[in-house]
Amino acid sequence: MASVAGNKLERLPGGLELQTVIDKPAPVEDAEDVQDDSRLVEAARQGDRASFGRLYDRYGRMVHGILLARVPCREVDDLVHDVFLQALPRLHTLRDVKRFGAWLAAIARNRAMDYYRHAVDEVTLSDDVNQEEIDGQARANSLDAETAFVLAAIRALPEAYKETLLLRLVEGMTGPEIAERTGLTPGSVRVNLHRGMQQLREKLKQTSCGKRDMG
Amino acid sequence: MDTKNNNDYLWNGSGEPDPEVRRLETMLGGLRHARPAPDFTAIARAEQRSWRPRFLALPWLRFATGVATMLLIAAAGIIWLRSKPNTLSQTAWEVSRVEGSPRVGAQTLHGAGGKGKLDVGQILETDSVSKAGISDEQVGEIEIEPDTRLRLLASRSGARRLSLERGTIHASIWAPAGEFVVDTPSAVAVDLGCVYTLHVDDSGDGQLHTTLGWVGFKLGDRESFIPAGAACATRKNRGPGIPYFEDASNTFRAALTTLDLESSTSRERSAALRVALGTSRQRDAFTLWHLFSRVPDSERGAVFDRLTALVPAPPGVTREGIVRLDRTMLDLWWDQFGLGDVKLWRHWERSWPDQAVSK
Repeated sequence: MASVAGNKLERLPGGLELQTVIDKPAPVEDAEDVQDDSRLVEAARQGDRASFGRLYDRYGRMVHGILLARVPCREVDDLVHDVFLQALPRLHTLRDVKRFGAWLAAIARNRAMDYYRHAVDEVTLSDDVNQEEIDGQARANSLDAETAFVLAAIRALPEAYKETLLLRLVEGMTGPEIAERTGLTPGSVRVNLHRGMQQLREKLKQTSCGKRDMG
Repeated sequence: MDTKNNNDYLWNGSGEPDPEVRRLETMLGGLRHARPAPDFTAIARAEQRSWRPRFLALPWLRFATGVATMLLIAAAGIIWLRSKPNTLSQTAWEVSRVEGSPRVGAQTLHGAGGKGKLDVGQILETDSVSKAGISDEQVGEIEIEPDTRLRLLASRSGARRLSLERGTIHASIWAPAGEFVVDTPSAVAVDLGCVYTLHVDDSGDGQLHTTLGWVGFKLGDRESFIPAGAACATRKNRGPGIPYFEDASNTFRAALTTLDLESSTSRERSAALRVALGTSRQRDAFTLWHLFSRVPDSERGAVFDRLTALVPAPPGVTREGIVRLDRTMLDLWWDQFGLGDVKLWRHWERSWPDQAVSK
């Protein structure tokens, strides 16, 4: 199981197990962690599958967030596995082990695009927040209506903002951690978070649901 | 509200929490990544025959190796190479929808002619109203019952492997014995030339019924052979139980259950052994053969006496040897039953080292 600092497991009716954010996002990882990651990538390239499993634990949230920004919720868990299974035999093609996160993120984005090339009868994400679509997604993904609405609102944001916001709000990653994992500069992540959150607030305010909850 | 503090909270979780960010974190936190990693070690084992030398990871060596390989291929003759099967290439399985809307990876199969491909690493899943079939002309056909989830781990000449995480499959296999393997959470099922049904419940326990040929079932050192007409249960962390013919008496089967799969006291186990030996028919000889490895050595003599009364021990097989579980002697005796050549199984064990699940 991927370790997620600051979270607790919650058993929901129907046996669904969810993780709920209690407090603050997971602590920022330092330079030593980056070196650890490089060592893990090197070991995984040498065939050490346990090291690859550790990389899954460390990068699973990033891959999950990237996919969640693009594909239906119910597909995300399987696609996370697919991304890592695609990455495993290609590790030898990675030239700079320090760029593992960015490389893996690119595989995840490609996998999401590939999903739409092959998927049949799936919901297409649009730039607008469509209530009918949200209701459909909520039913299909066992989400409550408000969560489905907020998720749809985030997904309707520009590409760079929605991915960064989901990594922050859903996966509980801090800005520095997002930068370190995805290979983006901290400045870009900071701008994406700030502007993304600003646009999200506006989007939520434009709806009755948002107005009610945001006061 | 202090804007800088709010921005700090959004940035790295420090400072005064922004109430709106907190609300969204709490609401969306339930969607967070929580699925454990797949068993990369098992997947690597399944792919070990397609391993490539590490030095090929170096770009210039890869290029040089590529050129040299092309020259060699040309020298050896393209026609000759084309006539040889490619033992390293992985092939996808054909998937056909039977009922409902089975899913292959991200794709959902709909309609009467719904078809797809199951690639190595992909998951095939059916819901409570869906059924599917998968086939590979070199291997066989498998029917997938509702509420089943499986993953294709390997599919190349000499090594076809599925992981059945839950649900039921009916397999009709024509690949050479030992080539088709199904991992379950509680044992590995090895096709030894057969048609069989394998079920895995949500707890990881399983049940296997063989219709034709025979199947090997293994977890670590614990193994069971299930011939046509027989069945065998398996329990997570315990492995395969004692197989039995499905036409055996209820008394006999209940005794086996007490002996093998339940947490019985030694007194209950001894009583159950007496019942099993006393009610066994000649046809149940193969079941008694499995008892040798399931009862303490102090009770193996009694099993030997009953089994030799049903199927005489062949030359070279002694009571002492069987009591100490001499594998050669056990194999010699197994071959007397006419249920399958145990050499096939031993060959598989040698060919797939470290193959058993260890959960």
